[in-house]
Amino acid sequence: MDQEVLHTIQVLEDTKRGLLDGDSLKLKELSNETLHSACGIQDSASLTIAVLVYSLSKIIERKDGVKVKDWDLFVKKFNSFLDLAIKALKENRLDRVESYLVMARKSLTGLGSIKHYVQEVLKKASINKAGKIYEHGISLGHTANLLGLTQWELAEYTSQSNAAENTDNITLDVKKRAKMALEFFS
Amino acid sequence: MSNKAVVFDSGTLINLSLNGLLYVLEGLKKNFKGKLLITEQVKYEVIDRPMGISKFELGALRVKALLESGVLEMPESTGISSSLISSRTSEFMSVANKVLVFKGQPVQIVSAGEMSCLALSAELTAKGVANIISIDERTTRVLCEEPRNLERILSAKLHQRLQTDISKLKMFSNFKFIRTTELVYSAFKLGLIAIEDKKALEALLYATKFKGSSISFEEIEQLKRM
Repeated sequence: MDQEVLHTIQVLEDTKRGLLDGDSLKLKELSNETLHSACGIQDSASLTIAVLVYSLSKIIERKDGVKVKDWDLFVKKFNSFLDLAIKALKENRLDRVESYLVMARKSLTGLGSIKHYVQEVLKKASINKAGKIYEHGISLGHTANLLGLTQWELAEYTSQSNAAENTDNITLDVKKRAKMALEFFS
Repeated sequence: MSNKAVVFDSGTLINLSLNGLLYVLEGLKKNFKGKLLITEQVKYEVIDRPMGISKFELGALRVKALLESGVLEMPESTGISSSLISSRTSEFMSVANKVLVFKGQPVQIVSAGEMSCLALSAELTAKGVANIISIDERTTRVLCEEPRNLERILSAKLHQRLQTDISKLKMFSNFKFIRTTELVYSAFKLGLIAIEDKKALEALLYATKFKGSSISFEEIEQLKRM
């Protein structure tokens, strides 16, 4: 079996466990791990997993505060979709993997008591992952496309990262660039 | 036809809009007597798409007003058709998105919006129009100015050396880039900013950084001292 597929199966297995244990830190780590695949291979399944798992970690962090009804039932349902996704991965049915992940996401957004909160968390998770992908060297436009976001949503967030401080980001002396701009506009 | 033009990527217009600085474009245009251009792809990202998102609708309307008043113009105003730009955009995208290879697969690094700016700039240059691209995101700029740096950024993040063929990037050389920061710096030096305070320049430079301009704190400090 392909290394990437094996890794994705492991991530989904660990996510199930992390969700059962209510381990938000573990889930955050898994989300970051998945992001490497998402940046290199850019398959939509990896992106969906990265966003979903990060969102779960955030919800678990505040689960008691936001009073989630039927949490245990949700975990059971969510993990059953992950089981199906794992089975589909083992059978190399990638189209089915996608659809089971969509179902898992729907089970999350279907948490009626915290519907708006979940939507907000998913949006923020997408923006957070977009920031990480941009840090990896993918352009802002392509990052926005990958996550279904607009560049308006990413403008502030990307400036919070350290991407601009990386010395490889400096490709021309800033004084020369400023001089060129001023001469051009004069 | 004007012999100077600025080609705007989405980020610069979004940055200026979020900072309430779109008005400087009108002043700059009068000052340098050139054209301020956007492509169809950038228009979609900055105006058409956010029009349906309540949080960004006002910003999009502000940019739309600039287009309707003629401060911003489409490529057709220079005799270059948007269909030509679309076709050239595909060429640039096709090369850029194959130049870096990770685990045997090309890494998609750029979008049509960014590549459409290169396409328009290349066509303007071919027509003898001096031009610069105003772009805040770093990938396109680094790809054109120092492609090896982009390879290093990606390799470091992916913990694996990427395969690259830089020789494919000849068509990406000879572009000139500025960021919103340098644009606003120029506007300030030309007396086009409506804020009179000794801290104005510093405030402007940082404001552009915090709304998406890919510039380091050290670079801003250098600009402050100029």
